[in-house]
Amino acid sequence: MATELWFTEVVNKALGPATTAVLEKLGIHPAHPGSPINDAVAMEILVVLLLILFFLAVRATLSVDKPSSLQHLVEIGQGFVEEQARGVIGHHYERYIPYAMTVGFFILLSNLLGLVPGFESPTANPSVPLGCAVLTFIYYHYHGIRHHGAHYYKQFVGPVWALAPLMVLIEVVSHLARILSLTVRLYANMFAGDLVTMAFFSLVPVVVPVIFLGLHLGVALVQTFIFVMLTLVYLGLAVSEEH
Amino acid sequence: MKKYSILFVVIAILLIAAPAYAQAPGGAPAGRPWSVALGVGLGMGLAAGLAGLGQGKVAGSVAEALARNPGARPGIQLALFIGLAFIESLVLFTFVLLFIRT
Repeated sequence: MATELWFTEVVNKALGPATTAVLEKLGIHPAHPGSPINDAVAMEILVVLLLILFFLAVRATLSVDKPSSLQHLVEIGQGFVEEQARGVIGHHYERYIPYAMTVGFFILLSNLLGLVPGFESPTANPSVPLGCAVLTFIYYHYHGIRHHGAHYYKQFVGPVWALAPLMVLIEVVSHLARILSLTVRLYANMFAGDLVTMAFFSLVPVVVPVIFLGLHLGVALVQTFIFVMLTLVYLGLAVSEEH
Repeated sequence: MKKYSILFVVIAILLIAAPAYAQAPGGAPAGRPWSVALGVGLGMGLAAGLAGLGQGKVAGSVAEALARNPGARPGIQLALFIGLAFIESLVLFTFVLLFIRT
């Protein structure tokens, strides 16, 4: 590849040959055998490393008497997600908090990484939001089945038996559309944010693009909130008692 | 101090916008009919404008609801964000489609 970020180069130096070997074994031939890991994957790896370091730091300084500033930060986030989950899911919402927090932190850091010079948002590549959306899809269906057992299918057939074929079709399409809309919303927002900043940079290269970077910061936060919120809403619908 | 802050702002902007240097000079690439640019502009404009009408209605209703009952802020905000997200995602579908098709 002609242009790749410095972190991608580092990752490719360390893991590139091994990755190419594994991919060749699986019958996949990467477009650039010398550097099979693209920017999005390298940035994802960076996000995961940063998150692990962050949580190690939080874990090391956990204290009931004298909470550190990091602990306060995490507790604020946790309290916020918990409050939303209580409103959306209702009883037994505690079980779903860890997943929502994990996805939230991952997406938040991915979005914010694009604002740092020399890095880019992994979420500006459609595969990364798609991964999060598919994971959410599997997760809420798993919990729907775990919660309702064999009766989960009743959510799809509707109350009237005669209309069941139609309802099943509509429900299947609407559940698949959730994956599409979660993916495209996150991806297009991050991508369009970069694009708008670029466009204004080419018009006025000084100061003005900073306004759009500020806008991008707001969009990054809001999109994280939306993704977590919709995850909770879908979970709430899947585990709701009556439909 | 002020001089330095301006210097750093400029450096930050220039670092962020590295891909802008890679942009080829000149306008539209050759070999694409003029109707594509027209269609993209019209499509994006229609999508953004109509979604603006819809989102304006949402924001207006939220302001009204908050003025009537400020105590119901959490529920109203939840409905606001989710509603805006769904309206906005329609524009983004258009945006992605236009990007793929051109």
